Amino acid sequence: MPGLADPLERDPVLATDRDDAALGDRLLGYVWQPPRRAWWAMFLLSASGVGLLGIAAVYTFGWGVGTWGVQIPVAWAFAITEFVWWIGIGHAGTLISAILLLFLQRWRTSINRFAETMTLFAVMCAGMFPVLHLGRPWFAYWLIPYPATMRVWPQFRSALVWDMFAVSTYFTVSLLFWYLGLVPDLAALRDASQRRWQRIAYGILALGWRGSARHWRHHRSAYLLLAGLATPLVVSVHTVVSMDFAISLVPGWHSTIFPPYFVAGAVFSGFALVATLIIPARRFLRLGEVITLRHLDNMCKVMLVMGWVVAYAYLVETFLAFYGGDRVEMQLAVDRVRGHYAVATWATVFCNVVVPQAFWSSRVRRSPIAVWIASILINVGMYLERYVIIVASLAHDFVPSAWRPFAPTWVDVSLYVGTLGFFFMMFLLAIKLLPIVPLTEIREMRHEVARAPELGVLAGSTEVSR
Amino acid sequence: MPPLISDEDPGAVSRRGFLQLLGGIAAAGLEGCFRAPAGEIVPYVRTPEGAVPGNPLHYATALSLDGFALGVVATSYEGRPVKIEGNPLHPESLGATRIFEQASLFQLYDPARARDALERGEPRAWRTFLDATGKRARELRSRRGAGLWFLLEPGASPTIAALRARLQEALPECRLRSWSALAPDAASAGARIAFGRPLEARIAPARAEVIAVLDDDFAQDHVREARELADRRVPGPQLCRLYVAEARPSATGTLADHRLPIRAGRIEALAVALVKTLADRLPSPPELRALRVSVGPEEARWVQALAADLASRPGAGLVVAGRRQPPAVHAAAHAVNALLGNLGASVTFRAPLLHDPLAGRAVIAELAAAMAAGAVDTLVVSAYNPCFGAPPELDFAAKLLQVPFSVYLGARADETAAAATWFLPAAHPFETWGDARGSDGTASIVQPLLAPLFGGVSEVDLLAAFLGDPRPAHEIVRATWSASRPAPDFGAFWQRSLQRGVVDGTATPEVRPEPRWDAIAGALHAAAPAASGPIELDLYPDAKVFDGRFAPNRWLQELPDPVTKQTWGNAALLAPATAQRLGIGTGDHLRLVVGAQVVTVPALLLPGTAEDAVALALGYGGSEAPADHRGGDGYRLRGRGQDWIVPGVRVEPAGGREELAITQGHFRLEGRDLARQVTVAELPSLGGVEVPLSIYPPVDYPGHRWGLSIDLARCTGCSACVMACASENNTPVVGHAEVVLGREMHWLRIDRYLEGPDAAPEAITMPLMCVHCEDAPCEYVCPVNATVHSDEGLNEMIYNRCVGTRYCSNNCPYKVRRFNFLDWGYQKGPVLRMLQNPDVTVRSRGVMEKCTYCVQRIERARIDAQVSGRTLRDGDIRTACQQACPTRAIVFGDLADAGSEVSRLHRDRRAYALLGELGTRPRTLHLARVKNPNPALAEG
Repeated sequence: MPGLADPLERDPVLATDRDDAALGDRLLGYVWQPPRRAWWAMFLLSASGVGLLGIAAVYTFGWGVGTWGVQIPVAWAFAITEFVWWIGIGHAGTLISAILLLFLQRWRTSINRFAETMTLFAVMCAGMFPVLHLGRPWFAYWLIPYPATMRVWPQFRSALVWDMFAVSTYFTVSLLFWYLGLVPDLAALRDASQRRWQRIAYGILALGWRGSARHWRHHRSAYLLLAGLATPLVVSVHTVVSMDFAISLVPGWHSTIFPPYFVAGAVFSGFALVATLIIPARRFLRLGEVITLRHLDNMCKVMLVMGWVVAYAYLVETFLAFYGGDRVEMQLAVDRVRGHYAVATWATVFCNVVVPQAFWSSRVRRSPIAVWIASILINVGMYLERYVIIVASLAHDFVPSAWRPFAPTWVDVSLYVGTLGFFFMMFLLAIKLLPIVPLTEIREMRHEVARAPELGVLAGSTEVSR
Repeated sequence: MPPLISDEDPGAVSRRGFLQLLGGIAAAGLEGCFRAPAGEIVPYVRTPEGAVPGNPLHYATALSLDGFALGVVATSYEGRPVKIEGNPLHPESLGATRIFEQASLFQLYDPARARDALERGEPRAWRTFLDATGKRARELRSRRGAGLWFLLEPGASPTIAALRARLQEALPECRLRSWSALAPDAASAGARIAFGRPLEARIAPARAEVIAVLDDDFAQDHVREARELADRRVPGPQLCRLYVAEARPSATGTLADHRLPIRAGRIEALAVALVKTLADRLPSPPELRALRVSVGPEEARWVQALAADLASRPGAGLVVAGRRQPPAVHAAAHAVNALLGNLGASVTFRAPLLHDPLAGRAVIAELAAAMAAGAVDTLVVSAYNPCFGAPPELDFAAKLLQVPFSVYLGARADETAAAATWFLPAAHPFETWGDARGSDGTASIVQPLLAPLFGGVSEVDLLAAFLGDPRPAHEIVRATWSASRPAPDFGAFWQRSLQRGVVDGTATPEVRPEPRWDAIAGALHAAAPAASGPIELDLYPDAKVFDGRFAPNRWLQELPDPVTKQTWGNAALLAPATAQRLGIGTGDHLRLVVGAQVVTVPALLLPGTAEDAVALALGYGGSEAPADHRGGDGYRLRGRGQDWIVPGVRVEPAGGREELAITQGHFRLEGRDLARQVTVAELPSLGGVEVPLSIYPPVDYPGHRWGLSIDLARCTGCSACVMACASENNTPVVGHAEVVLGREMHWLRIDRYLEGPDAAPEAITMPLMCVHCEDAPCEYVCPVNATVHSDEGLNEMIYNRCVGTRYCSNNCPYKVRRFNFLDWGYQKGPVLRMLQNPDVTVRSRGVMEKCTYCVQRIERARIDAQVSGRTLRDGDIRTACQQACPTRAIVFGDLADAGSEVSRLHRDRRAYALLGELGTRPRTLHLARVKNPNPALAEG
C-alpha cells in the first residue's frame, strides 16, 4: 500500500489516537443515544417537506401536469431540471466509493458511506420526477419492455427508454454496493446492541455476518467486483441523461459535448453536496478525528478540477454556437446571456466558474465554513445550469412565434422543496440508525497507519480538527 | 330538408328527398317554435329514409350577418349539425366560409343561450306573448299603428320584406326601421352624393390590376372578395398591385405591396389628393381639378405613385373605401373609379337590397327622440342589443324602460333584454325557416336542421305575431316564394332551391349610374382639413365578435385575432412610438376618455398602427362577454356624431397592468428564413425544393402519399382555417388563464411576422400546423411509440398509447404539437357535447395531440370511394382548413399522383420546405409570398 499520507499534505487522513474499541464506541455511540433536540427539529422540518411533496404529488396526479408551469414550447422545466440535478448529485457516491477505491485513494474511507447514502437518496428523489412529470403517470410502466398482450414494445430509439435503464441500473448497483459495505458495520451494531429488538433488527440486516476470514475474503472480492461494475456507471448514467438532450434537434441541446460535460457537472455537484452535508455532520456528530481537513482539502481539489471542466464546456458551447455559424444557435447563445434567462446564466457562471477559484487557496480549502458556503453555491449553480440548458433552450427555439418564457407555479416549487425534504429526512434517519462512517474500514486504516509509522501518517495527529 | 350531397342515385333524390322534407318538417319541429320541445328522446319508430346512423347528411342553408347571407352546407349526424362548410354554389361563399360561419355552431349549442320568454323577468309561454301581442295589435290597428316602432336586424330577406309590406299596409303609421351598431351608412351616403341615390357597390378585385384600399378590410370580411384578391396575388400576368392606407393593421393591409399607416382622419385628405391628382392626369370635369390638396410630402409621394399606377391601367383599377370613412371618402372612391372607367367592371352597383339603406346612428337617434317625446308606446326590437351598441348620449336603455310595451328578440338575456318588457329567445338560423340574400341579390332559403334546442322564435314569427298571422314560419316563407311561382312548378322549384341552397335567377340586375361631378366636388371641397394634434381614437368592427353578438362565443374568444393574436378581450392598439411617448407598455391599463365617458382597457403595442392613434375593437365589454375578460366597451366612446373616428381622445395610464392572452410569442423573424417572401423581380432566383441528404434509407410508399401545400401569397391571415380546424377536430377551449400560460390547443396557428421599421413594418402571415415530416423528429424520441408514420406518410398520433412525456413537442422544431395539460372540461354538459364531431376522438388529459391532416376525412373519402367502386380522385379529400379557406391557400392531396394539384404546387418554384435544413423533409410545403412593389415607391 502506497503512502497513506503525502509528505506535501499537512493534514492526516485520520486524526485519532483511540483504539478499536474506543473507535467503535465513538462511531456507533450516536446510534444508541436518544435523538437530540436539534435532530428532532431538523427531522420535523424535513418531514414537513415530505408532507409538502405528498400534497404536491397528489395534486399533480389528480389534476394533471397543468398544475405546473410547463407549457408549449417549454414542456420540460422544473421536473426535468431536478431530475438531472438529483442524478448528478448521485454521482459522487459511486465515484468516491468505486473509482477512488480502484485508484487506492484511502482517504475516501471516511466519507464513502456519506457519499453512497447520499447517492441512494438522491437517485430516489431523481426517480420521482420522470413519473411525476408524465401526462398519464399511471402508464409509466409502458416504458419498461414487457411482453404486453398488444405486442407493443417501448421505442428503443428514444433516450427516455435508455434513461429508464441507466437510472434503474445505477440505483440497483448503488444499493448493492452500499449494502455490501454496510454488512460488517451492521454486524458491529448488532453486537453492540443493548436491547433485544435492536439486536434482532440489526441481526437480520447483518445477514449473519460473523467476521470470519472466509466472510472477509468473500466480502472483499465481492466489494471489488461491484466497484468494478459500478465504475462504468459513473460515466454511463449521466452520459445517458445528457443524451435526453443531445439526441434532440433543439438548439442548445443538440451538442456532442453534452456527455462529458454532464458527467463532469455531475461529479462537480456530487462532491459539492457531499461537502454540504459532511461539514455540519462532522461538526454535530464530532467526527473531526475521522473526517479531517485532509478530506475537505481533497474534495475541494476535485471540485476545482471539475469546475474547470465545466467552465471549459461553457466556453466550447458558446464558441461552437458561433463557430458553427447557425443563426438559431447564435441567437440562442446571445439570448442566454442577454435575454430573459440572463440572470440565471450569469449566476451559473458565478457559482460554477468563479466560486471554485477560491479553492486555489489552501486556507479556503481548510476552512470548513468557507467550503460549506462554496459547496452550497456550487449546487445552486448546477441547478441553474440545468435550468438554463433545459428551459432557456426550449423557450427560444426555431420558430420565433412560439417563443415563450417559463414561470414555475407553487406546485413546481413544492415538488422541489419536497424532494429536498425527503432527501434530508432520509439522511437524518440514516445518520440516526446506521453507522454513517464505515467503522470497520476506519479500524482497518488505523491498523495500517499504526503499522507504518515511518510514513508519518499520524504526524500532527494531536492537532484536533476543527 | 333534402341532403345536398347524398350517396344515393341522383334520380331517386327528388322522391326520397320530398319524403325527407316532410319528415324533416315534422322532426325539425315547426311547432317547436311555438312550444318547448318535449323533454324525452323518442327513438325512430321508422327510420327516415336516407338516415344511416353514423353517416352524415349535408344540408344547404344560409347564415346572415351584416344584412347579407353567405350560403353554407351543414353536416349533420343523426339530426345534430356538427360542421359548417361554405356552399360552392353560393356566389358569396364559393365553398368557403369566414370565421363567423364556422363559429356559429357554438352559437347554436351555447348552453348559456336564453331559454325562456320573459315578461319583466318572469318566464312566460309563447302563447301568453301571442295573446298579449294580439291584444296590443288590435289596439294599434285602431290607431293605424301610431306609436308602433320596429327596430329590426338589417337584412334583405324577401320574406321579411313581404311581412314588412303587410305590416306597413295594415298599420300605415307604424315605423319600420333597421339598425345595427356597425351599419355602413357612410357608404350609402357616399353613393347618394356620387350618384344621387343610395346604391350598393359591389367590388370585384378579380377585374382590377391596381387596387387601392382606403381603410377597408374586405379580405377579412368577405369571402368572395378575398378569393378574387388572392387570385391576383399569385405571380403571373394577373398579379395585381395592392395599396392600402389605414390606421390599424388589417388582414387586407397585410397583403399590401404598399401600406401607408395613416391616421384614419387623414384618409379624407388622402382621397381628395388622389382625386385631384388623377383629375389632373386624365380628362376630367373641371370641378375636380379645382380641388385643394393638403397632404404631407410622404403621403403626396404615395398618392402620386398610386395615381400614376391607376392611370396607367384604365378600366382595370379599383379604389375601395371602408365603412369607417365618411361619405366624402366613399364619394371620392366612386369619383376615381368613374374617372378610370372602372364602373361596371371592377365595381358594380345595385339598387339597395337591404330593407333600409340607412341603419345607423340617424335611425336610432330618430327613435330615441321619439321615445323621449313619448311618441313610442310599442317597440319591437330584433336588432342586436341596442342598449349596448347605441351611442351613449342617447341613453337608450333608460328610454327603453319608459316604453310601455317593448319586445326584444335576442339570443341571450343581455342589456336590452333587461330593459324591455318582453324578451323572446331567438332561434338559431339552424332552427328556423327563413330566407336571405347575398350581396348580389342571390336568395337562399334558410332551412332548419333541428328543432329549437331551447324553444326560440325567429324574426318571421315575431312579425307574423304582430300581423296576427297564425301560420308557422315555414308556410310564410313558402308563401313568399310561391307568390311569384306558378303552382305546378313550385314543388320542384322549392325542392331544387332547398337542395342547392340558392334560388336560381334571383341575382338582381346591375345599374350603371352616372357620377354627379358637382356634388362630388362639393363634398370634397367641404371635406374637413385633416385634423392634427391630439390623439385620434379608431373604433373598428372586430374580426371575431362582430358587433358584440359573438362576444359570448368561447370558440371565437379563444381564436387569436388575425392581426394582434390576442384572445379573450380587446386592447387599445398603439404604435410603439406613440406608446413610448405616453410611457406605456403592452398590458398596461389605459384610460380612454372621450367627453364624460371613460373606458379602461389594456394597451397593446402594435407596430404598423398609425402614430398618434389608438385603435379599439368594438363589441367587447358588454354584459354577455365572458365575465373575467370582458374587454373595454368601445361603444361608450362613440362621441357625438363620431361613430368610428373620434379625433380627440385623452389617453392616460390607469395604473395596473395585466397579462394579455396573446398566442404569438415573438413577431420578428430575427433574420430566419421562415416566412419567405420575394419580389416579382427576385422570383426567378427561387429554385423550388431540394431533397436534403439523409442517412436514412428512402422509405417506399406504394400507395398514396398525402401532402399539403400552403400558399403564403394567398393567405390573408383571416383565421377561418383555424376556426374550421377547431370545429372539425374537437380541439378544446382552454380559457384566458391557460392561453396566458401558453396552452392554447389549436392545431393550426397563423404566425404573423413583421419586418422593417416599427413605424411601417411589412407583415406576412404563415399558417402552420403539423407538417408531417418524412423524417419526423417527434417520432424517434417518443419512448412508447405513440407517434409513428403511417404507410401513406402521415405522422400519426396514437392517443391511447401516449403517456405524456412531451418529448415529441420539445423536439418538434415547428412547435405544432399541443398537449392536454389538464382536463379541459369545457365540452362537458349535455348541450356542448353535441358540438363534438363524432368522427374525431375527444382527447383526455395527459396526451399529446396535433394536426392529423384530417385523417377522418381521408378515411371517409376512402370508404365513399370504395362503396361507389372507384378510386380516390384529386379533390375527393379536402381538409377542414382547406375547405374553409376563402382564398384557396391550402391544398391537400396525393403526392404520388403527379397530376394532383398539390403535386403541381410542390413543384412550383416558390415551394420551400420550412426548416428544411434540419432534414425533416416536411410533407407540407409552403409557397413563398410574392410582392409586386411599385418601383416609384420601392426605395425608402
